[in-house]
Amino acid sequence: MVPDSRKPSDSRSARRLNAPRPVGVTALRGRPTMVGGVSVEAIREEWRVADQWWTSAPVRRQYFDLVLETGKHVVVFLDVERDAWFTQRA
Amino acid sequence: MTSNTCSCRTYVLMIACLTISSFALRVALRPRSDLSGLPVALAPASNTPEVIEAFTLAAEKAGLRTGMRLSEALATCPTLVLLEQDPASVADVWEAILHQLEEAGFEVEPLEHGCVLFDTAPVEPLAGGLEQALERAMAAVDSRWQPSLGVAARRFAAVAAASVTVPGRILVVDDADTALFLEPLPLHLLPLSQERREEFAALGIQRLGELACLPRASVADRFGSDADQAWLCARSEDRARVVPRQPSVDLVESIEFPDPVANSSTLEHSLARLIDLLLARPDRKGRALRKVALSARLVSGGSWRRALTLREPSADPTVLRVALTPRLSELPAPALDLKIKIDELTEWQGVQEELLSVRGKRLQEKLREGLRQVRTSVGRYAVCTVVEIAPWSRIPENRAILVPRDD
Repeated sequence: MVPDSRKPSDSRSARRLNAPRPVGVTALRGRPTMVGGVSVEAIREEWRVADQWWTSAPVRRQYFDLVLETGKHVVVFLDVERDAWFTQRA
Repeated sequence: MTSNTCSCRTYVLMIACLTISSFALRVALRPRSDLSGLPVALAPASNTPEVIEAFTLAAEKAGLRTGMRLSEALATCPTLVLLEQDPASVADVWEAILHQLEEAGFEVEPLEHGCVLFDTAPVEPLAGGLEQALERAMAAVDSRWQPSLGVAARRFAAVAAASVTVPGRILVVDDADTALFLEPLPLHLLPLSQERREEFAALGIQRLGELACLPRASVADRFGSDADQAWLCARSEDRARVVPRQPSVDLVESIEFPDPVANSSTLEHSLARLIDLLLARPDRKGRALRKVALSARLVSGGSWRRALTLREPSADPTVLRVALTPRLSELPAPALDLKIKIDELTEWQGVQEELLSVRGKRLQEKLREGLRQVRTSVGRYAVCTVVEIAPWSRIPENRAILVPRDD
């Protein structure tokens, strides 16, 4: 029997847990002011991760633990290497 | 199409479909008489594609089309007024309309807000015939909603008749004429996905009659079971009858905030209090909750509503809190109030617990059976194990991976 080409591919392979997801962030002087169109109420914590600098894929991230206007807590980071914002459970 | 009366028709069980066009928009427009005659559209809900779905006649005359992007709509009609969605009012008003129909003796099967099916047979002897029963249904609904009523011997034909008839009118499709009636109607009336409709359109199939004349086996083989069901509908051979809903319950608890609330802990405490009040209501009569709806009026205008069907009916406050609390994070703006409503209760009161807790081999068997059911439902490799690979890593996604289980 010919396999159905429209079916999704075999998802048997392992997947990363807690992979970063792109998010729309408006920042002022490097500090987020809006996340996904919602204003940031407070920055609870801020930290930097620099790792794998000895490889060809170095990691440089600036993490922010935020409280949004709606009361929701989110963690976002700026990928300094790619100049892009992501959200992630840290 | 002929007027279908008891005196001249062979007795056929008729299904009626009552629809109110642009129901959500009309509910949102109710308190805004100042917008009468203006181009108005319902703003897209949060977390949905930014397209316009419902708008007034004035907006249509200004060039708006269903499915138009919001930016394009505003460019086409700069005076367009956008109204916030009000799902809580939509649900309340719709429930009141269903209740009026039930009061008139009809057992209703709501399909969506603004569309309901019911059998006419139980009311015909009371009303004195089909026409009188239909008039009774129309009279049960406030005339300002201008409902359309489509009546046919099949579900789909009834829905199609209601979709094409003029607001405020009744269209009865005689059983012998159903195929003829459906033939010229557009394909978008069928319950098909957009992707499937585009596939049919690419093959030049635009009308129900064009689909109906294709061989059933070819349609099923090429497009699958949903197209097969659509083919049956197009030929008026769908056999499904109306499945009336359980009589609704009116158990509501709400809390109004002195100031708009966005703080998650305040909302969670309020929800916990509302759950306790709801469970303490004597008219619940000890029955467990099957469906619950959480709603709130928003400070930005409009409202927010989430309905939840519990996997297992429960009257345990902890279970309800665990199920409902995550929904609060979906609130798009600060809330002026919070309301919890029971949509459906179980018929029974007690819960049959196991006398002895399951252990050892029996527990393993139950777990295996549970995993088998999950795999059957969502895919062979859906059940995974978390495997730590570098728990010390400073990069969160490098700490663990998900590996599909084989057992």
